[in-house]
Amino acid sequence: MRHVIVTGGSRGLGAVMIEGLLADGYRVSTCSRKKTDNIARLEAHPEYGPYFFWQACEVGEADQVDAFVEAAVAWAGDDGLWGLVNNAGVAQAGILASFPNVESERIIKINLLGTIQMARAASKVMLAQKPSENQGGRIINISSIIGTRGYNGLSAYSASKAGVDGFSRALARELGRRQITVNSVAPGYVATEMSSTLSPSQLKQIVGRTPLGRLADEDDILNAVRFFLSDGARMITGQTLIIDGGIST
Amino acid sequence: MTEDQIYAAIVEIISQTLDDKGLDVPEITPATEVLGDELGIDSLDLATLVSELEKKIGFDPFAKGFIEFKTVGELTKLYVR
Ligand SMILES: NC(=O)c1ccc[n+]([C@@H]2O[C@H](COP(=O)([O-])OP(=O)(O)OC[C@H]3O[C@@H](n4cnc5c(N)ncnc54)[C@H](OP(=O)(O)O)[C@@H]3O)[C@@H](O)[C@H]2O)c1
Repeated sequence: MRHVIVTGGSRGLGAVMIEGLLADGYRVSTCSRKKTDNIARLEAHPEYGPYFFWQACEVGEADQVDAFVEAAVAWAGDDGLWGLVNNAGVAQAGILASFPNVESERIIKINLLGTIQMARAASKVMLAQKPSENQGGRIINISSIIGTRGYNGLSAYSASKAGVDGFSRALARELGRRQITVNSVAPGYVATEMSSTLSPSQLKQIVGRTPLGRLADEDDILNAVRFFLSDGARMITGQTLIIDGGIST
Repeated sequence: MTEDQIYAAIVEIISQTLDDKGLDVPEITPATEVLGDELGIDSLDLATLVSELEKKIGFDPFAKGFIEFKTVGELTKLYVR
C-alpha cells in the first residue's frame, strides 16, 4: 500500500484530499496544530481508520516536522513513504506598509520554510528506501496563482507561494535521478475558510473573469494531486499546474 | 554501534551505491575521500548515504549545521557517540 503524507488535513482542501486519497486506497498520514471533529471521525472510521494517522505538528518548527515524519513513517512500517503533499498554509491580507513584520514572518515560516522542512524530512526517507522497496516518490507542493500573478494586499503570501514554486523546480532537479518527482499545484480561488475573507462582490468579479465560469472546488485540486501521485505522472517534474478555470491565462 | 561497525556500514553503502551505478568498487580505506575522484560518489549519493545512516544509526550529525569532513574515516567519526 502506498503511504502519502498530506500536511494540514484537518479542514479545507487538506480534509478533502485525505479522504479522497483514503478512498483511492492510499495509506494516509496528516498533521495540523489542532485536532478537528473530522480527524476524530476518520480515526474511528471502520474502513479508513486503520490506514489513517494524525499527529499534532506545527509546520514551520523543524523539530516538530522531523518528529511528525518519523512517527508517520514508523506507523506505516514496510509501506515506507511514497508521497508528500505540502498543503498546510496560512494567508493574511493587508497592505504591506501597515502589515506587521511578524505577520510576514509567520506566513513565510509556515508556507515556505515549513514546505522546505517537510520536503527535507520526507526526501531523506525516500532516498533511504532501497530501489526494490518503494522506488522513487512524489512531492507535491500546494502553491497558489497568487504566487504567479500577485494580488493586492497579499504580498507576503504571494512571496511565500512564488518561493514554493521555485523550490519545486530546484528540488525536482536534485531528486530526479532517484525517480522522485517534485511539482507544484497552484489553485485559483477555492471556497474554503482561507478565502472566506473575500467579499461577495469580489467573488462575483472573480467568477465573472473566469473562462470556466465558476470557482474551483476542493475536488478539482484533489484530482490534480491524484494525478501527480499516480504512475502516469512519472515523467513530469519541476512543473506548476495551475487550476483556476483559466482566469490567469 | 561501535566505530568499526559504523565504518563497515559506510563502506557497505558506498560499495552498493557504486555497484548500482555500474561503477567499479575500488579498495576503500579510512583515508579514501568520500567525494573524491577515486570513488565516483556525488552529492545526491552522499545525501542518500547520510539518510541511510540515519535510518541505521538513529541520528543525523548534520542536523544542526554543516561539519567539514573529507575521508571515509572522518565521516565515520561523526557518527561515534
Ligand atoms: N482556499 C483557497 O482559495 C486557496 C487558493 C490557493 C491556494 N491555497 C492553498 O491551499 C492550501 C490549503 O488551503 P485551505 O484553503 O484548505 O486552508 P484552510 O482551510 O485554512 O486549512 C489550512 C490547513 O492547514 C493547517 N495548518 C495551517 N498552519 C499550519 C501549521 N503551521 N502547521 C500545521 N498545520 C497547519 C490547518 O490546521 P491548523 O490551523 O489546526 O493547524 C488546516 O488543516 C494552502 O497552502 C493554501 O495557501 C488555497
